[in-house]
Amino acid sequence: MLLYELIQKNKDLFFIDAQTGHAKSINTMHQSLHIDSTQGLVFIYNDNLIGSVEVLLNFLNSKFTVVLLSAQLHLSFKQNLEALYTPYYIYDPARTAVEGYKGTQASASVKLFKRKETPVYLIHSNIKMLLSTSGTTGSPKFVKLSNENLVQNAYSILDYMPIKSDDVVPLNVPIVFVYGLSIFTTNCMAAGAILCTNNDILQPAFWTDFSKYNCSTIGGVPYVYEMLHRIGFFKKDHPSLRYMTQTGGILNQALRTDIMRYISTYNKQFFAQYGQTEAAGRMAFLPQQHLIEKAASIGKPIKNGRFEIDDDTNELIYFGPNVFGGYATGPGDLSTWQQTNKLYTGDVARVDADGYYYITGRIKRIIKLFGTRLNLDEVELILKNSLGGQTIVCTGINDKHLLVSHVNEQLEESAIKQILKEKLQIHTSAVQVKYIPSMPLTPNGKIDYPAVMGFAQVLPLSRSC
Amino acid sequence: MNLNQNLQEVIAKAFGIAPNDVTDELEYQSIPEWDSVSHLVLVTELEAAYGITIDMEDVLTMGSVAKVRELLKKYNVEAAA
Repeated sequence: MLLYELIQKNKDLFFIDAQTGHAKSINTMHQSLHIDSTQGLVFIYNDNLIGSVEVLLNFLNSKFTVVLLSAQLHLSFKQNLEALYTPYYIYDPARTAVEGYKGTQASASVKLFKRKETPVYLIHSNIKMLLSTSGTTGSPKFVKLSNENLVQNAYSILDYMPIKSDDVVPLNVPIVFVYGLSIFTTNCMAAGAILCTNNDILQPAFWTDFSKYNCSTIGGVPYVYEMLHRIGFFKKDHPSLRYMTQTGGILNQALRTDIMRYISTYNKQFFAQYGQTEAAGRMAFLPQQHLIEKAASIGKPIKNGRFEIDDDTNELIYFGPNVFGGYATGPGDLSTWQQTNKLYTGDVARVDADGYYYITGRIKRIIKLFGTRLNLDEVELILKNSLGGQTIVCTGINDKHLLVSHVNEQLEESAIKQILKEKLQIHTSAVQVKYIPSMPLTPNGKIDYPAVMGFAQVLPLSRSC
Repeated sequence: MNLNQNLQEVIAKAFGIAPNDVTDELEYQSIPEWDSVSHLVLVTELEAAYGITIDMEDVLTMGSVAKVRELLKKYNVEAAA
């Protein structure tokens, strides 16, 4: 069955526009936009407002392949991606014009940009969605997902998530992240209302709406839970809240204890989860009764999923119907689909006697800063390109800091931080810059990353903001 | 005036912007530099600069530079005057 049909079957579903307070039923969103009936790509620069949601739903119910991108993406990155993939349609409320495209009113409220020169694509019929492997680096590398991937992921989540037909769900996690997309698809299938908002949890308006609309749930990465803690969320009851969800890393011990106290005092539920874009969402979840006892565990595989740990590398391998059909780094990769149920997660793991899994390290060069996945090789490339090809090495420190090591004594720390801030919206306080006289190399001449990270621990760090 | 400049500098440092760009009208999420991440950096910087502890609930009220100034008055910080 198609994802869109499953959403459509939830007949009483409606969408609340937080900006106006108006609500639209799923029925009024059905075929509400005038779009061509053809195969092609649509770039949706999503801002979680009701317009983006309407555009997404209309294109899910079409022959188009949906490419979900962040509205906050740097303009030059948007232009590079558009030049490479030549999408048929673009939805970007932030721009009034796009070169090579003409504006077209798809409805009274929704404007699309349509490419003047009809692009010729060969897109494999399985590819329903392309999701970025990183939210902000503007990398042309996308994960190819099928309708089946998205549906199977949603079914597995609905198996354990206590979604009720009268739930009101705020879109506080951006849909461009696979976690936000999972929240969106599952709740569109089973909940009562979706609150479309781009207010975040540090804005009083978000909490006014949260109470006003009796929101049932909230989700976030560990950083969001740290913010919730900072604003005193766990100090008092929020009567409409029934359950919370979390992904993107392990919560620190103090926070976990605080959350346990909160959910037992006020009778709430909490679901820690583990997932990846390559799995169209989730792979494992930890039932809350084990939140303390199995602290730091990612839990057990979701329904229809299974884990193995590689004998030699200890890499965690996932098997399930939600595993993607390969990467695309350019339009040429859109004509193929690699059917598989096996995913090398890039995470190193162990399993305990009760079958609970624990992540102990990472094979891929990826870190998570404030919950956003960053590919270190891509960050390196952006810095090298901006600084005229110097030797730059990026590593992570406990998912808290990005460490930029370089061998040029003249290179200003502020120049590096400025590029990271402007191009990737990485806050300067999360960046550490280290000058080292010579770059450590492995015997075969590659960068010796463990040695670079060793420098960070031995030598004092510059911690200025 | 001097102390006022000091507040500007604290805010500018937290956001990584020029002190001259810090005006009373500046609002949360109105510039890319003032997002949820830097908002909490600002809280930490204000606490360090003025030796205060900002209540959890007050973190939400700091929606603009003018409101930060107002809040600091509540904490008896002279720089806000």
